[in-house]
This record gives sequence, structure tokens and C-alpha cells, in this order.
Amino acid sequence: MRAETLKGHLDGMLLASLETGPSHGYAIMEMLRAGSDGQVDLPTGTIYPALRRLERAGLLAGAWDEAGGRRRRLYSLTPAGRQALAAERGTWRIFSAAVTALLEPEPRPVTS
Amino acid sequence: MTAGRVIDTYVEEVTAALPGPPRVRGDMMAELRSGLLDALDAHRQDGLPDDAAAAAATAEFGEPRVIAATFRPELAVRLARRCALTLVITGPVVGLLWAVAAVASHIGIRRALPWEAAAPAGSTAVVRLLLIALLVTILGAVVTIAVTGRLAARHGRSQVAPAAAALSGYTAVTVDVVIFTLLASQLAGAPGGLAPVPVAAAAAASVTRLVLAWRAALRCRAVLT
Repeated sequence: MRAETLKGHLDGMLLASLETGPSHGYAIMEMLRAGSDGQVDLPTGTIYPALRRLERAGLLAGAWDEAGGRRRRLYSLTPAGRQALAAERGTWRIFSAAVTALLEPEPRPVTS
Repeated sequence: MTAGRVIDTYVEEVTAALPGPPRVRGDMMAELRSGLLDALDAHRQDGLPDDAAAAAATAEFGEPRVIAATFRPELAVRLARRCALTLVITGPVVGLLWAVAAVASHIGIRRALPWEAAAPAGSTAVVRLLLIALLVTILGAVVTIAVTGRLAARHGRSQVAPAAAALSGYTAVTVDVVIFTLLASQLAGAPGGLAPVPVAAAAAASVTRLVLAWRAALRCRAVLT
């Protein structure tokens, strides 16, 4: 899947990947790859500015963490982030149902 | 090249393609480096030898110039916010010191600005320029802080912040230069009326602010292109 196709949905996917608990950039990207069966495959480096922007927006909280001798920046969802994720899900359901209905219409009975 | 060296080179290349003081991008680059080390570990665990694992890690992260470009808007916003905050914090200090200097010099600031009384004709226009520059500085800083806040971060990126911050920086420089021009004319006309210590303190603060504002404006302008 190309970056342009994902654009606009990346934020929601990043928020969703942190729903179960805090994580760091590389692990989040691996979750996106594994969770989408490899369909979501962006250059790993692009995730870091995206996380910083979500942090600035108050949707994520980021902090350096030292575990196993390696410093990593851990991100977790803030209450505002959970709200944004719920809103994103709602919008996506409506949008995807509409697009599916239009792209894959059920065969209609002939009326005339 | 060792694996660590390959990763350091990659981070250096991204850093070099980003404007601004190292302090602002340092934290982001440290995070990028830590991610690359995670990638290196992952590729080693997949059984790749060191060189190949390092090459795979940097390839996975993306072309350094492309990655720098994705960091750029975020960096621009942070840089602009820092610049605006610098101006907002230093502005009142400089203004207050000049007000104290004016009062100590027994020059009424209500009826006339300190330098106006003895200043040669034409200084009213200069004072007007001063006030306009001051207004633009404040507006530019306020706009920058507003569009770099939380709400704005949820609505994508904008080039407004660095532009407004750069403008604010340049007009702050203008304010200082105009004040010094007026001070010079006062010194030439009636030097006796000035209180040396408060004027010197205000001048020192003004010079410091001028340098800070100039550097801030240049940095914000550099991030615009």
C-alpha cells in the first residue's frame, strides 16, 4: 500500500497500536506491518515525526525509558488520545461502509 | 565500516539535512538512532551478519534525505514556537528597562516618549515606525504561539508558524534599532538629561534581545524553504 493511500489514516493506526499499552517507535512500526499482513509498509523513519506530532497534539505522552541497557522513547495514549481514537473508529466505519457499498454494489433486482 | 558506524553516518546525514540548533533536533535524532539500533537487532536476529544487518536497518528506515523531509515540518513548528516564546519573554523585560530608563532620566513617557522632547523634527515618524514594529512583533509572536499549540497539531502542518515567527523576529530587531537611533539622537542633542545606569542597563538588554531575535528570525526563515 502506498504512503498516499495511508495518509490520513496513519494517525488513527498509530493511536490504535498503543491501545493495549505503551510502546516505542520501532515496535509500533512492526505492529503495523504484522497487523496488516505487510500491507502497511512505510519507511520506518517516517514514524518518528508522526509520533512527535501526536505528542504535541496531546494525544500521546512520550518519555525516555531505560530498559535492558537501551534508551527508548516510550509512547502511551492520553485520555484525549483515547477519545480521538474512538472518534477515528466511528468515522472510519461510516466511511468504509459507504465506499464498500459504492465500489462493490450488490446486484440489484431488475425493476423495469 | 562497523554496524554502529553505518548507523551513526545515517543519523548524521539526516541531521545535516535539517536546519536549526542541534539542541532542538538532538532529542529527535537520539530517538531515530535508538530506533535504528532496534532495527539492527531485529535484522541480526533474523540471522544477518553485522554489515548486512546494518545495511538492512538503514534501508528499512528510508533514504536519509526523505526522512529528513518528514522531520522538517515538526522541527519548523518547534523552532517557531521557541522563537516566539523567546520574543514574548524578552520583550516585556526590554520594554520595562527602557521605561525605567525614561523615568529615571526625568523624561515624561506619558506626554512624550523619552527621546521626543529634545529630539529633532521628524522623530514623530520614527516613533510611529517604532510602535508599528512593536505591534507586528507582538502579533507575529501571538500568531506563532497560537498555531503551534495542541489544537493546531491535530489539524496537520502549516508554514504559517515559521513565517510569523521570522517576521516577529525581524520586527523585534527593527524595534531595537529604532530605539538606538532615537537614543543616539538624544545623546547628540541633550546628553545631560540621561540617567547613565538605567540607560546602560536597558541598552544592554536591548542589544542582547536584538542578537537573539536576529538569530531566531534567520533560523525560522531557513526552515521555510
